[in-house]
Amino acid sequence: MKITLIRVAFFILLFSIWYLVEKLGHIPSYILPSPLSVIESFYHGFLKGGYTTAIFSSLIRVLIGYFMALGIGIITGILLARYYILDVTFGKIILALQSIPSVAWVPLALLWFGITDSAVIFIIILEAVLPVTLSTRNAMKNIPPNLIRAAQTLGSKGLHLYQNVIIKAMIPELVTGLRLSWAFAWRALIAGELFISGSGIGQTLELGRSLADMSEVIAMITTIGVIGFLTENIFFGTIEKRVRLAWGLQ
Amino acid sequence: MCLPNIKMINPKIKFLNVTKSYDNNSKNEVILQDLSFEIYAEEFVCILGPSGSGKTTVLGLVAGFIKPSSGNVLFNSKDIIRPDSSRTLVFQEYALFPWLNILDNVAFGLTTKNHKNNYAREKASEYLNLVGLSAYEDHSVSQLSGGMKQRVAIARALAVDPEVLLLDEPFGALDQQTRESMQTELTRLMTKTKKTVLFVTHSVDEALKLADRILIIGGKPGKLLFDTTIAATRPRDLNNYQLVTIRNKILDKLSQPDLFMGSDI
Repeated sequence: MKITLIRVAFFILLFSIWYLVEKLGHIPSYILPSPLSVIESFYHGFLKGGYTTAIFSSLIRVLIGYFMALGIGIITGILLARYYILDVTFGKIILALQSIPSVAWVPLALLWFGITDSAVIFIIILEAVLPVTLSTRNAMKNIPPNLIRAAQTLGSKGLHLYQNVIIKAMIPELVTGLRLSWAFAWRALIAGELFISGSGIGQTLELGRSLADMSEVIAMITTIGVIGFLTENIFFGTIEKRVRLAWGLQ
Repeated sequence: MCLPNIKMINPKIKFLNVTKSYDNNSKNEVILQDLSFEIYAEEFVCILGPSGSGKTTVLGLVAGFIKPSSGNVLFNSKDIIRPDSSRTLVFQEYALFPWLNILDNVAFGLTTKNHKNNYAREKASEYLNLVGLSAYEDHSVSQLSGGMKQRVAIARALAVDPEVLLLDEPFGALDQQTRESMQTELTRLMTKTKKTVLFVTHSVDEALKLADRILIIGGKPGKLLFDTTIAATRPRDLNNYQLVTIRNKILDKLSQPDLFMGSDI
């Protein structure tokens, strides 16, 4: 309770400073808009429905890319864990790929897919597939061998062994991979959307830039931050915490 | 007509000239060499030996994780092909499933194909009661102490009603007091359930306290060095004349340094 109060006070202080700097510094609104005009942007954006549509289209894009990435990543991860030769060849490339930021893929994606949704989804998949691949691979390799042996001597084999031991033992590490992948997907989404047409958070941000409407830009940045925080920390964070607790890791 | 001789009963487990070797960095490392022995139903056999002598490999062979390089490991006169619930294994580090609560851990084997029954939890509950942990059914694995975890592991291994119970230094990670109470507990359980037991340990006193028979495996590569039967009744006083004699013989065997080159004792 006390912490909440301190937090609220902190945010009020932050907004007051922002407000005062803008007011007293006579800074033009295309450089730094006042917090009130950002709130106004939000009000109009949501009232007229523009922001709602943008957020909705963006979420659809990121979810399509994310789930495709999960499918590809989990299968690739299992293959890497099972086949040594794949691991030493393809597995190494994956580590290198992970150091490439998503914007670096934009020129290629635009060339191949044009300024369409497919280009963004392509970039999202490229980014999000890596963490989930690596965590699936590691999760599979790190199953304590004695857990599998114990299950086998108790009569578990085949499908029963996979369902009740192998997959269960992989879950904590897998969940971390799912969260990381989501974080990557979310960042790739915004980077990609800056370059394509249609409705979306990134497009609205880019539109704000071209119209020198900085309050819209800041409104979109805030939206990205809030949705990112809610999904990464609140949604995935809670799942991860619960899983770790249930698996006795905390 | 002649009286049935004990040796005429088929052994439960039989090692016949078993050799096990691994290819290690293009070097062939022999773990066990020409090992032959027989274990009969309801015997409590302790396998003693220094670390690295291949004791655990013996258990792996009986469980069915490991195949012999040459020779045969027979269970009820048949070659062991793969692990199954007629021979369950208890590990030193418990190997309980952390995502299941205590009751479901014990019930695990009862959910598999061969044991599928709707009373898995009721039966698991009985076995949990047998090891005195009824009050902990809903607890998670991480909430239990080491000794309690090992009781759960033993209950889990017994719940599928195996013919042979294998234990790989099960009390090695426990403190002395817990260890002693677990030994007493195991003796009680085994008298009650009448299983054939193969118990690996490197503690001579533990073996003397528990075993009907002690096998010593040692050397590089591991061979059978000693095989003795202990007839003393339980509970045992380790100062008993017969046990002291056996202990001296064992220590004598274990202290031949040339047999344990490279081991860590």
